Amino acid sequence: MSDSTQPLLKVRDLTVTFGSHRRKLSAVAGISFDIYEGETLGLVGESGCGKSTTGKALMRIVEPSSGTIELEGIELTTKKGKDLRNFRTRMQMIFQDPISSLNPRRRVKDIVAEPLDCWKTVEGAEREALVNDLLSKVGIDPVAYGDRYARQFSGGQCQRISIARSLAMRPKLLICDEMVSALDVSVQAQILNLLEDLKAEYGLTLLFIAHDLAVVKNVSDRVAVMYLGKICEIGPSDTLYESPEHPYTKFLLGAALEADPDSPIHGDVLSGEPPSPMNPPSGCRFRTRCPNATDKCANEEPQLVEIATGHQVACHYPLSTLARK
Amino acid sequence: MSTERKLLVVKDLATTFHTPSGPLAAVGGVSFDLNQNETLGIVGESGSGKTVLSRTIMGLQPRNNVEVSGSVLLNGFEVVGASEKEKRSIWGLEVAMIFQDPMTSLNPVMRIGKQIDEILRVRLGMDRQAAKAKAIDLLDLVGISSPAERYNVFPGELSGGMRQRVVIATALAGSPKLLMADEPTTGLDVTIQAQILNLLEELKERMQMSVVLVTHDLGVVATRTSRIIVMYAGRIVEMGSTREVFARHRMPYTRALLEGSPKVSNPSHTRLLAIPGRPPNMLNLPKGCSFAPRCSFATDRCREERPELEAASEPGHTFACWNPLPVKERASA
Repeated sequence: MSDSTQPLLKVRDLTVTFGSHRRKLSAVAGISFDIYEGETLGLVGESGCGKSTTGKALMRIVEPSSGTIELEGIELTTKKGKDLRNFRTRMQMIFQDPISSLNPRRRVKDIVAEPLDCWKTVEGAEREALVNDLLSKVGIDPVAYGDRYARQFSGGQCQRISIARSLAMRPKLLICDEMVSALDVSVQAQILNLLEDLKAEYGLTLLFIAHDLAVVKNVSDRVAVMYLGKICEIGPSDTLYESPEHPYTKFLLGAALEADPDSPIHGDVLSGEPPSPMNPPSGCRFRTRCPNATDKCANEEPQLVEIATGHQVACHYPLSTLARK
Repeated sequence: MSTERKLLVVKDLATTFHTPSGPLAAVGGVSFDLNQNETLGIVGESGSGKTVLSRTIMGLQPRNNVEVSGSVLLNGFEVVGASEKEKRSIWGLEVAMIFQDPMTSLNPVMRIGKQIDEILRVRLGMDRQAAKAKAIDLLDLVGISSPAERYNVFPGELSGGMRQRVVIATALAGSPKLLMADEPTTGLDVTIQAQILNLLEELKERMQMSVVLVTHDLGVVATRTSRIIVMYAGRIVEMGSTREVFARHRMPYTRALLEGSPKVSNPSHTRLLAIPGRPPNMLNLPKGCSFAPRCSFATDRCREERPELEAASEPGHTFACWNPLPVKERASA
């Protein structure tokens, strides 16, 4: 995570717009961030904030409307056809529902080998050995279970198989979209620990998208908070959780429930619900629910500015400056 | 303890489904009680039997292929074995339930006000006007702004959090003494979840209800309940005051749940306590302790003989384990 190195992934002004000119919805409304090699960037937000769309846009599963995505210094948004497919091997995605992301009628070995077969990188005994190795790495015995069908596995095991498949091409960047939210606590812990181990072993860089604040903090070096299609705060995870600068981050953290009977119940719960992204508020998108909002917030959109090293916030009145007054 | 009147007494309750592959004991002999104006949490992973337990307490099990034994005494009314008609006399008035999915617990083609009215008119015999006035009061009570206008909207016009508020209003219409809440906030965003949990707590105080909060999320029960029950494979494995169970749990499974879930207060990259395997197949439960195959402390006795709940040091705290964690161990250790 050293600052001198070039970022592995560089995203600038990314927007994703759905619908036609009359009913336009900007799911992602101009976001910029970098991910450095070897780090995990967490992306949190409530449903509808655009976090999953961001992940999909990076993979070009949904087409970005504007903005640039650079992976290892190479621009991806203009790539097409085989060139684009080639680039996707550098970047892989793991989805929320492990069961529906695997073909139930295929054998586990073939699922994991599919990317290798597509690209014909290895064949024969070498292919076999690589698949077996990948399966053992994710904790699935290739001899006993390799020939079973995906439908015979539980959610946690399916997520392990998805991870093995995503690692087959040795990607640099792994995009994990709510990958543990469908799993039970005891299985979730297994998968999160596995992810940390594999990250170290394969030298992976992760974009970890999730709604669960505790899960995101656990895996991330840095965290970005999204609200209604925009990033409102981004910073090192321990700092951001300890001293949030954006009022939304503070409310979000206050609402997170800690499994500890002595943790305080926060009286100041954020009221109301996020406005429709079809018709976002002028200026700051959070101002309709923000207790500190002024006229300036309605007229002028705050930009992400650095408030401490590596800690950026998009707010006219960051909390630390308010406290000083 | 005995001086307080128990609102709910559950004794040896078992619910067995007769499936084509054999009998499935979703709830395998559960006993506990609930005081008036108390909030009890029931925690467990999927398939632990927590939802079947709460439905059996309500008397909401399917008509066929199910066998219920034991006793559920709800404010003096025996639910097990009662006819539909008898049960209808307590539903809504003595006990009401809110379900996980607020999208499907409301009728999508009926205005929300009418759905609240229905209970007031049918169950409480109110006339149309009185029912409407009361329904608007209830919408106001659950924090829906401009209730008189919202009375006429359809569920589809409301967000998930708003719909859950309407479901709560419907459940509260008959002023029940017990509210069963089955994963009431699971599909909701964190900020909305906090709103709904605060609302439930406030209403519990205001209406002098008891609440049973069924959830998989330890964060939900930690600060909102006075006692909790931890379920595994259809049985209670640990039960006690919330504080005691969190701080001095004796059952290794409880520890796995607590230390396996990431915490906001922990620094990044904290290694989680992960137990191997997954919950057992309910059709083919292990002979001894159901948790034994995943437990690092398991001995031959655990695999052969099922432990019963035994008392821990604090009154009311019980656990089912042959090799419990040492007493001095704390959650923070």
